[in-house]
Amino acid sequence: MIHVENLRKEFKKTVKDPGLKGSLKSLFKPKSEKVVAVDNISFKVAEGEILGFIGPNGAGKSTVIKMLTGILTPTSGSCTINGKNPTQNRKSYVKEIGVVFGQRTQLWWDLPLRETYGVLKEIYEVPEDSYKKRMAFLNEVLELDDFISSPVRTLSLGQRMRADIAASLLHSPKVLFLDEPTIGLDVVVKDNIRKAIEHINEQEKTTVILTTHDLADIEQLSKRMVMIDKGTKVFDGSIAGLKSKYGQIRELYFETDVKNAAEVLGYAEHFSLSSDDLSVEPEGNSVKVRFNSSIVPVSDMLSYTLNKINVSDINVKGADIEEIIRRLYEQGVD
Amino acid sequence: MKHIKRALKIHRIFMAQEFKRMMEYKGDFVVGIIGFLLVQLSNLMFLWIVFTQIPNLAGWSIYEVVFIYGLSLIPKGIDHFFFDNLWSIGFFIVRKGDFDKYLTRPINTLFHVLVEKIQIDALGELVMGIALVCVSAPGIEAEWSAFRIIAMIFMIPFVTLIFTGVKTITSSVAFWTKRSGNITFLFYTFSDFARYPATVYNRFVQNVITYIIPFALTSYYPALYIIKGENPLFNLGMPVVAAVVLMGIGIFVWHKGIRAYESAGS
Repeated sequence: MIHVENLRKEFKKTVKDPGLKGSLKSLFKPKSEKVVAVDNISFKVAEGEILGFIGPNGAGKSTVIKMLTGILTPTSGSCTINGKNPTQNRKSYVKEIGVVFGQRTQLWWDLPLRETYGVLKEIYEVPEDSYKKRMAFLNEVLELDDFISSPVRTLSLGQRMRADIAASLLHSPKVLFLDEPTIGLDVVVKDNIRKAIEHINEQEKTTVILTTHDLADIEQLSKRMVMIDKGTKVFDGSIAGLKSKYGQIRELYFETDVKNAAEVLGYAEHFSLSSDDLSVEPEGNSVKVRFNSSIVPVSDMLSYTLNKINVSDINVKGADIEEIIRRLYEQGVD
Repeated sequence: MKHIKRALKIHRIFMAQEFKRMMEYKGDFVVGIIGFLLVQLSNLMFLWIVFTQIPNLAGWSIYEVVFIYGLSLIPKGIDHFFFDNLWSIGFFIVRKGDFDKYLTRPINTLFHVLVEKIQIDALGELVMGIALVCVSAPGIEAEWSAFRIIAMIFMIPFVTLIFTGVKTITSSVAFWTKRSGNITFLFYTFSDFARYPATVYNRFVQNVITYIIPFALTSYYPALYIIKGENPLFNLGMPVVAAVVLMGIGIFVWHKGIRAYESAGS
């Protein structure tokens, strides 16, 4: 349904020396350099799929989303939804999509929320009877009733986000783009929003593409994720796939009476592990050791530790997704 | 026809939103109206003092000068009232990445920006312009034929587009430079020259405001025909041509600009 092919975006960045002097110099002798924000990204999304986009800040996630939503014109490459191309026919393309940017709002700030929907109805040419049905549905899923008569400026962030999602769905788009839909929200509200997205996806087969920094969003919503770093796609697959590919990190936790247990044990020297594959965090009576189990098997790690010192409590955990991502962001992907 | 009907409907809806928005803050609205009346009153007094001191200007009688002055305020006021939102494009909409919103909606972006806001302050210029034209017209020795009056009214939408066209072109620059409000301001300032008969300026300024930044076409040249019946082909034709050309360039540059739009980080 969505085809993204060799998408690339370059920006021209003016290079300035620091300070006022640099600014003046740049005014008379402008220097610019080319920055590649997105480099040859391709992927496909099937109808009804929920695709999660992750990547560190500045990786190019938003740039990709903005090209997919027709906001930015790609330097080269293309993206199409059902054969429609945003650079060729923006108006008919955007009728098929709904867009929410978590950090911005498209609601009429000064007016009661209801007024926004009235205007969007006209902009998207939604007929009166389907508008009524649609509002009833969105009301039910996103619980807008409590604040639909309040001016938008008085809404809490969670209410505003629900209102914005409803606004993007009013015209029953086939694809919904969510750029950081849970940013700044508390746990309960996050959960409500995820459930609503899930519900809409199941009910209407709406394809959803979302970016987020909260991996719980992806774990709960999408079977598939695409990871972007420095403008290129570094991973495309399921969360389970990511875990099996990069999830060799284990966390060993134990409590002991031995002082300076970490030094006594000297894991790094004993197993000759580099800092990429090992981190040791002593904390009072307990020690947390993260290590790469593909180099040192868990059994070796356990027997070495137990033989060397007296341990009162011990356990080993598999790395969670957060941990994997943290390592990937820090070290990049090989 | 269908497109025009839809455009008018959307325009009406946006206008209604704007009025509702103003009503949302009633205190501010009332004070704004009082302030607007005070400004107009002081403007009127200033004009009265100036014009009573000069019996004529470069061969133009006091009534004719006031007529041209008033006539220049009408298109300026209409543009200011309906299309003031273009200023925000040059000053912050593009720079802050807020232009994203327009690109994700299925209506023409320029149209959307133009009709989204109204500027109530502009009523000052409009009311003042109409008043000055009405007050000065009886004092002018001209043949007030029906045709000339119709011609005058017919010209107003076109000369309004001269203002809107210039603003559209200069605002579009922001798509490349991120900020172009001051460029718009610079060009817009030239419209002050349009308040007085072009013959009071030297040859160079005359050429600039006739052919380059043609604000003299918004009031002086149409008035030449309306008052003196001179050269209708140039005096009425040229403003129409200029309006179409400027707006055409504006639309072209705007759509080129959209492709260069870079949004802002989020």
